[in-house]
Amino acid sequence: MNREFVFTGRERTFCFVLMGIGVLSMVLCFFGDDELQTRFWSNFLHNSVFFTGIAFMALFLYSAFITGWSGWHIVFKRVWEGIYLFLPVGLILMLIIAAGLWLDFHHLYEWNDTSALNPDKLHDQIILGKTGFLNKFWFTGGTILFVGIWYFIATRLRGLSVAEDNEERDPNFSKHRKMRIWAAAILPIGGFTSAFLIWQWVMSVDSAWYSTMFAWYAAASWLVSMLCLTAIFTAYLKGRGYLEQVSHEHLHDMGKYIFAFSIFWTYLWFSQFMLIWYANVGEETIYFRERMDSYPILFWANLAVNFALPFLVLMRNSTKRKYGSLLFIASVVFIGHWMDFFLMIKPGVRKTAEHLTHAAGDAHHGAASFMSGFTIPGFIDIGTMLGFLGLFIFVVFSNMSRASLYPANDPYLAESIHHHV
Amino acid sequence: MSKEVLYGLYNDEEDLLHAVHAAHDAHLDIMDVYTPFPVHGLDDAMGLDESRLHIGGFIFGALGLLTAFLGMTWIFTADWPVIYGGKPYWSVPAFIPITFELTVLFAGIGMTVTFYIICGMGPGVINKTLDDRITDDKFCIAFDTHDFEETGLDKIKEFFSSTGASEVNIKTL
Amino acid sequence: MSGAPISPIRQPLVTGSKTYHQITEDLCGPTEKAPSKAWVIAFLISVAFLSLGIACILWTIWKGIGSWNLNRTIGWGWDITNFVWWIGIGHAGTLISAILLLFRQKWRTGVNRAAEAMTIFAVLCAALFPGIHVGRMWVVYFFFPYPNTRGPLWPNFNSPLLWDLFAISTYFTISLLFWYTGLVPDFATVRDRAKGFRRKLYNLLSFGWTGSAKHWQRWESLSLVLAGIATPLVLSVHTIVSFDFATSVIPGWHTTIFPPYFVAGAIFSGFAMVQTLMLITRKVLNLQDYITLEHIESMNKVILLTGTIVGVAYLTELFIAWYSGYVYEQFAFFNRAFGPYWWAYFGMMSCNLLIPQVFWWKKYRRSIVITFAMSIFVNIGMWFERFVIIATTLARDYLPSSWSWYVPTFVEVGIFLGTLGIFFTLYLIFTRVAPVVAIAEIKHILKSSGDQYASGHAEKHRTGQSLVVEDHHH
Repeated sequence: MNREFVFTGRERTFCFVLMGIGVLSMVLCFFGDDELQTRFWSNFLHNSVFFTGIAFMALFLYSAFITGWSGWHIVFKRVWEGIYLFLPVGLILMLIIAAGLWLDFHHLYEWNDTSALNPDKLHDQIILGKTGFLNKFWFTGGTILFVGIWYFIATRLRGLSVAEDNEERDPNFSKHRKMRIWAAAILPIGGFTSAFLIWQWVMSVDSAWYSTMFAWYAAASWLVSMLCLTAIFTAYLKGRGYLEQVSHEHLHDMGKYIFAFSIFWTYLWFSQFMLIWYANVGEETIYFRERMDSYPILFWANLAVNFALPFLVLMRNSTKRKYGSLLFIASVVFIGHWMDFFLMIKPGVRKTAEHLTHAAGDAHHGAASFMSGFTIPGFIDIGTMLGFLGLFIFVVFSNMSRASLYPANDPYLAESIHHHV
Repeated sequence: MSKEVLYGLYNDEEDLLHAVHAAHDAHLDIMDVYTPFPVHGLDDAMGLDESRLHIGGFIFGALGLLTAFLGMTWIFTADWPVIYGGKPYWSVPAFIPITFELTVLFAGIGMTVTFYIICGMGPGVINKTLDDRITDDKFCIAFDTHDFEETGLDKIKEFFSSTGASEVNIKTL
Repeated sequence: MSGAPISPIRQPLVTGSKTYHQITEDLCGPTEKAPSKAWVIAFLISVAFLSLGIACILWTIWKGIGSWNLNRTIGWGWDITNFVWWIGIGHAGTLISAILLLFRQKWRTGVNRAAEAMTIFAVLCAALFPGIHVGRMWVVYFFFPYPNTRGPLWPNFNSPLLWDLFAISTYFTISLLFWYTGLVPDFATVRDRAKGFRRKLYNLLSFGWTGSAKHWQRWESLSLVLAGIATPLVLSVHTIVSFDFATSVIPGWHTTIFPPYFVAGAIFSGFAMVQTLMLITRKVLNLQDYITLEHIESMNKVILLTGTIVGVAYLTELFIAWYSGYVYEQFAFFNRAFGPYWWAYFGMMSCNLLIPQVFWWKKYRRSIVITFAMSIFVNIGMWFERFVIIATTLARDYLPSSWSWYVPTFVEVGIFLGTLGIFFTLYLIFTRVAPVVAIAEIKHILKSSGDQYASGHAEKHRTGQSLVVEDHHH
C-alpha cells in the first residue's frame, strides 16, 4: 500500500511551471503598472491573504474535528496537516506586505499614508481616528505574533500526530489527549486573532468602512476554499495511488461540508448585505453601492458561483459521490471564493490609489470606469494567482512527503476506514 | 381483506439480517419485516427501493418558495404598492426571510403528511400488529400464507428453525 | 450499526449493560407508574405560576398596555426581552435533534426527545409575547396575510416583525412535526404494553405504527430531511429575531454581526436549559444510564463553545464601536457599561463570558453541581443580555431629551413567571405522557455505544489486536 507520499519530479516541475507563470505575470504587471504599483501589490495582498487564510482554516477545522471527537476524517487528516504547515510561508508573504508599510513600497492602505490624510476632510478624519489600531506597528506586530502562535500550535499538533504513529500504540492515547488540549486552545485563540488580522489585512482596505460581521464572513470564505482544495488534493492523491482507504463515503461527506458551508457563507453574505441595505446608512451602503455599480459582474457572479451553483448541484447525494461532479464544483467554488476576496480587496485599493494620485478627482460620481485587474481579473491577475497556487501546492506537497499519509496509530483509524454515510 | 400470516420472531437484529439474506437466497418472498428500531442493512437485504419521499419534500419546498416570492411580489408591486421606509416596491432582500420560511414550512408539512398517508398512518388509525413485543425487543419476519398455498408452509417453518427464530406463529390480520 | 468498528477512545453512551427489553422497561416506566411526590409538588408549583401568568395576561388585556411600564422611548421592555429569551432557549432542541444528527453525534439520542419537547414549549411561551404586547390582542389575526375585507389590507412584508411571525410559526410547526415523527414509534412501544384506556390513548397517539421495514426506511428519510431543513431553519429563526434590532439605525442595534451572534447565544442558553432539565429528570426518573456524564460533558462543551463565540461577538462589537469613529455607537457601549443599567451589563458579562470559562477544566465539566449552577447562571446571563440590548439601549439613544427609565410592573413580572409556569407544567405533563428518552434511537445505538459493547472494543485493543482491519470495500 502506498503510504509514503513521494513528491515526484514531475509534480515539482508542475509547481515550478505555475510559479514561473506567476513570476512572469508579476513582472509584466510590475512594469506595466501605475506609479503606485497598485495592481501588483493588490494582487500580492489578495493572494497572500487568500492562501494564508486557507492554511489557517485547515488548522482551525482540524482542531474542531479533534475536539468534536470526529472519526471519519482520519484517513485524509495528513492532507490538512500538509495544508496548515503552509503557515510559515504565509507569514513571510504577509510580512512582505508589512514591510511595505515601513518602506513605503506600496500604498494599499489609506491609513498608512498619514501625511496624505487631511484632518479637515470628514472621510480622512474618520481614518485618522482609527490609526490607534490601524498602524504599521500593530499590523506588523499582530501578524508576527498571531500567525506565529498559529504556527506554533500547528507544529505541536503535527508533532504529536506523527509521534503517535512512530511510537508504540498507547492504550491510554496520551498523545491524542495532548492533541485535544492544543486543538481546544487554538479554537478561541484562532477566533479572536483571526478577527484581528482580518480587520487589519482586509477590512482596513476600505478604511472608512466597517462591519462587525466582516471577520466571520471572510473566515467562512476561507473555510469553503479550504474544503474545496481538500477535496481536490485528496482526489489527486487517490489518483496517484495513495490514500487507498479514502472512499466514496469520505468524498460524500466532503461534499456535504462544501454544500453546508457554502450555504453558511451565503447566510453571512446575506446578513451583512441585507442589514446594510435595510438601514440605508450612507457610510455603510457605499461599500455595496460601489461594488454593485462598478464591479457588477464580480458582484453577481460571487453569488451565482458561491451559492447557487453548489446549492443546486450538491443537493443530490449522487453528485457528492462522484469524483467528476464533486471536483468540478470544488474547483469552480474555489475560484469563486478567490473572486470573493478579489471583490473584498480590489475596490478599496483602487479608491485609495485614486485618492493618492487624485486620478479621478476627489468627487466620486457614478460608477468607476472599467479597469483591467480591478473590474474583473485579467490574465495578469489569474497568472499571479497561479503562481501563488504553485507555491502553495509545492509547500503542501513537500509537507505531506515528510510523514506517512497513513496515521497508523490514530485511535479513530478503524472507524475512518469503515466509514459509511 | 384479511390475510393469514406466518411469522417468526428473532431476538437480535443480526440474526434477523442473516435470516433475511437466507430467505433471499432460498427465494422465499417475504411479506414484511417488523423491527423495534431501524436496522442498518435491512433495506438492502430486503431489496427495498429507495424512498422517494425527499423528492416530494423538494417539490413542496419549491412550491412554498414560489408561493411566497411570487405572492409578495404581486402584493407589493401590483395589488397594493406602498412605500415602506424608502424601500423600492419590489424589495427583494426583504422578501428573502419569508420566502425561506415558507419554503421550509411547505416542505416540512408536505413531506410529513405524505409520509403518513403513504404509510397508511394517521391520528387514530389502528393497524393490526402481529405481536406486541415487536415494538419492544423482537424482530419479525412475516410471510403471507397465500403465497405458499401450493408449496406448503413446511418450507417456511424449516427456514425459521434453521435461521434461529425463537418463536413461530400464525395470525390472521 | 453493529458491524462498524468504534474507536476505543470513545466512552459508552448507554451504561448498565442494557438489553433492548430493559431499555423499553426503563424508558416506558415513568409513563406507566403513578406520579411521584416530587412530580406532584413540582406540578402544583408550576400550575400556580401558570395561573399567576394567566391572571396577569387577562389583566393586561382588560386594562391595556398601560398596566406595563413601557414608555417613550423604552417601547420594548420585559415583553420583548422575555420573547427573545424564550426563543433562544428553544434553539437547543432543534440543534440537538437536527444539527447533531447531521454531524452523526450519537450522544444526542439521550437528550433529543426531551430537548425537542422543551423547544416546543419554549416557542409557545415566546409566541405569547408578540400576541399580548400588541394592545388589541383580539385583532392579532390582522398579522396574517389572508384576503380580507379591510381593503384587502396586507401586512408589511418588509418588516422584520412580520418575518418573525412567519419564522416562529414555521419553527413551531417544523419542531412539532420533527418531535412527533420521532415520538410515533415510541408511542407504539408504550401502546403495545398498555391496556384499557391507556391502550386507547396510545393507539390514538401512535398513528397506527407497526414497525414495518418500509415504514422505518421512510421514517429515516423523513427524519433526515426534516433535520436537513430544520438546521437552516433554526439558524434563520434567531437570525430573523436579531433582524428586529439590526435592521434599525439605533446604535448598539444596527450591527451586522447580530444574526450569527444571536444564534450562538440562543444555542448557549438553550443548552443551559437542557442541562437544567436533564439533571433533574435523570435523577428523578432514574435515567442515569441513558443520560450519562458523557452527555452532560458534551453539552457543557457546547456551552463553552457557544459562550466563547458570544464572547468574541461582544468584544467585536466593543472594538468596532471604537473603530467606527461613530460617536453614537461609542456612547451606546459606554452607556451599557457605565450608564444607569450598568448592573445588567455586569451580570451579562460575568454570567456569559467569565463564569462559563470554568468548563475548560474537565473536572468541572463532569460535575453535576457545577453544571447545574452554571446552567442557571447562563440563563440569567442571557436574560440580562437581551435586557441590556433592549432596555439599556432604548433608555439612552440619540436625543438626550428623550432619555428614559424603565422598571417592570408586577404585571410584567407576573407574566414572565407565568411563562415559566407554562413551560414547566407542559414539561411535567410531557414526562408523564411520553417517554423522555428516544427509545428506538437508544436501541439503535446500543450495539455501538452500549458499555458492554464499547468495552469489548477496548478489550480487543488492549490485547494488541491490530486496528488495521484488512480492506474490504463496501
